[in-house]
Formats: sequence, structure tokens, C-alpha cells
Amino acid sequence: MDRHTGRASTRRDTGIFLLCVTLSLLALLSPPSWNRGLAGGIRETALRPLIALQRFAEEGRTSRERLRVAIAERDSMAIELQNAAAIVAENARLRELLDLRSQIPETFLPADVLHQPLPTDGQTLLLGVGTNRGVRAYQPVIVGAGLVGVVVEASRSSSIAHTWANPEFRVSAVTDDGSVLGIVAPTNREGSGIPGLEFRGVAYRDTVPVGTRVVTSGLGGVYPNGLVIGWVTGVAREEIGWERVYALRPAVNLGVVSHVLLLPSVEPALGDSVP
Amino acid sequence: MSRSRRGGRPLWIVLVLLVLLHFYVRPRIWPGAGAPDFLLIALMVLSLRTRPGTAAVAGFLTGLVLDVLMPVRFGAGALSHTVVGFAAAWGRTVFFPDNLIVNGILFAVGTLVRNLLLLIASGSGVIGALSAFGPASLAQAATTALAGIAVTLAIRHRVDFRLDE
Repeated sequence: MDRHTGRASTRRDTGIFLLCVTLSLLALLSPPSWNRGLAGGIRETALRPLIALQRFAEEGRTSRERLRVAIAERDSMAIELQNAAAIVAENARLRELLDLRSQIPETFLPADVLHQPLPTDGQTLLLGVGTNRGVRAYQPVIVGAGLVGVVVEASRSSSIAHTWANPEFRVSAVTDDGSVLGIVAPTNREGSGIPGLEFRGVAYRDTVPVGTRVVTSGLGGVYPNGLVIGWVTGVAREEIGWERVYALRPAVNLGVVSHVLLLPSVEPALGDSVP
Repeated sequence: MSRSRRGGRPLWIVLVLLVLLHFYVRPRIWPGAGAPDFLLIALMVLSLRTRPGTAAVAGFLTGLVLDVLMPVRFGAGALSHTVVGFAAAWGRTVFFPDNLIVNGILFAVGTLVRNLLLLIASGSGVIGALSAFGPASLAQAATTALAGIAVTLAIRHRVDFRLDE
């Protein structure tokens, strides 16, 4: 290869590299609404077989464990149901008298979590169900232990959820006894890069003891009330005379979540529009 | 530029196998943090055997796939994989890619650099980006390096698809 051809090749390689970098930067800077349509389209066409393959693999891996857990839960439920019917009826009657809506919806949609080996796995989750099963944006995502996040994008056979570790995640929260209201947001715990949660906006006069359970307040129209978010582990910082920010231990470990439940939107109209 | 083949199977069969490993075998065996990234291995294997321009395009497409599957910030994956692919292809003239240990180090460094760039481009901030050197990321670099060495050993004398300069 002569010197001129070599130089031309190197220039072409550099040009291609710069073009790819420019396209990437344009994608980074473009509005999320543009990206969502493009990403959804690619997921439903070129990547659909690969997502189906991974869903199949996840089902195969977890089926035995799920069966064992399901049998154990069914046995426990059978015992609890002996007394539950009367309590449920009494609760419904009291809520009706107080004109309160049901605390947590009774219908849900199960979904497999398709993890990716990336450091950002856990901030967003790819779910193996989509609009063909009735998934819509703004559906809360939970597991038995508590709140995982919210669906932000749904395409035909898969959807994307933002978890509590996502920098954009916010949820209106209240302590278990209903005395202290605030906003829960993610944070990097003690600068370690490990995601944690903070209970913000707590008035300076209010004190929340360590170990207090924090749940969703139901305000905002996205999450129903009563979903467990985490437990207070201490004061993270103080704005003197104004507010205290409490550190929370999240109820859900996102690294081990393999199966989630999607609750229906609290406000059905929310699912019609994506921000 | 001439394309030479010294017998054996074409590289694309290896790449398809790595994609299947990524989407079928990995979720069944090791779904959690620290799992080897077979898509990154596929990108590095390709990058060490092609021109930097081709590697940059391959990196861009690989990153785009991951952006679609896990869009914390769309474009972050494309940017990080483009840089890693281009750098790996450019660096093969310097780093003797036929040496197994050097190959392993390249796979590990490629994983760490990809993770760092991905976190920075995702808007994780300086503190968040430091998790690219946290236990999970280091474990992933190690497992990716081991898996990459295994792949290199497996294809060493069976696949040769190099674009000569």
C-alpha cells in the first residue's frame, strides 16, 4: 500500500469516526420525544427477535424458582384467606363511608425484567410486555417488597421503566403514620456511586425517627398511596432553619429484580400522553 | 486494500454466536451485575480485525442497540461504543493483538472505558461516573476479559478475516 493510499484510508477512517461521534451527540442532544419513537420502532422491528430470545431465556431461568415461590405464597395465602374475607368486607364498607378510593388497585400485569450488562442497568429496565398486553406510559411498577418505578415508554411487545435509581425519578411520599410529607428522589450515597434514596422537603420542625417506613402518598396521580419506598436510615443533610433531608434505604434491590408487577394508571388519562 | 482469508469460518458466524450468547445464554446463566458483555466482546473482536472506520461504525451500531434496550440517555451507548471500537482498531497496530494476555487486557480496559464514557454521557455526574471503577464494573471487566480470551482462543486458528493495510 503506498503512502498516499494509506493517508487517504486514515483520513476516511477518521472521517467515519467523527461522523459516528457527531450522530451520537445529535442523538444525545435531541428531545426525548424524538428518541422514544425511533427507539420504539427499532425495538419492534430489528430487535424484536433478540428481545423475544432474552425473554425466553429469562422465563427458562426463573421458571423453577418462580414455581417454588408461587407454591409457598399460595400456601401462606390460603391460611391468611381464612380471616381475610371479613376484614376486606369491613375495610371496603369503612372506605365507602369515608368516601375513600381503594388503596392499591386489585388488577396488575406481570412482566419479566430483561437486564442488560451495563453500568446503567437499574436506572432503566426493559420489560418483556408492551401495548399488546395493555401496558401504557405512567403505570407504576412494583414487586412484593415495594415500589420499583414507573413505565415511561411502551411499544408493542416491550416497554421501558424508569426505576427509583433514575436521576429523573420523583415520588410524593409520606411516613407510614401519615404525619410527615415530602418528596423522595435518588442520590449517590456518600459519593460511592451506589444509588440510594433521599426523603426531601421535610419541614425543619418535623423529626423522622430512624427506621420509619416511607410510602407513596398517592398525590400526583401516578402512584397509588401505600406503596413501600424505603426506610429512614438517618439525616442526610440539613438546610438550617428550612428543611431536613433524610437518607432512605430502598425497599427494592434493583439488581436482583427479575419479575415485576405493573399496576394500572391511577389517572387513566395520563397514559395517553408521554412527556 | 486487499481482503485476505486464511481458510476457516468467516467472522460473522462468530459475531452471530456472540450475539446469541449475549441474549440467550447470559440471561440464563448470569443475569446480574458483573456478567460478561458479549456484545462488547463481539465489537472488540471485530475491531481488532478491521479498519478503524469499520470499527467505529460497528461500535455506533452496537451502542445504538444498547441505547434502544436501555435508554437512560439515548446516544450515550452509541458514543461510548464508537470511541471504544475506534480506539481498539487504532490501537491494534500498537498493542500486538495476537498476544492472549494483551488481548485480555484490551477487553478489560475496553469494558472499563466503555462504562466510564457511558456513565458520563448518561449524565451521572462525576461521582456517579466513578462507579465505572466500582466492584461491579471491575468484576464485569474481569469476566469480559476471561470470556474474550476464551473466544480469542476458540477462533484463533479457525477464523481469520483481516483487512490488510
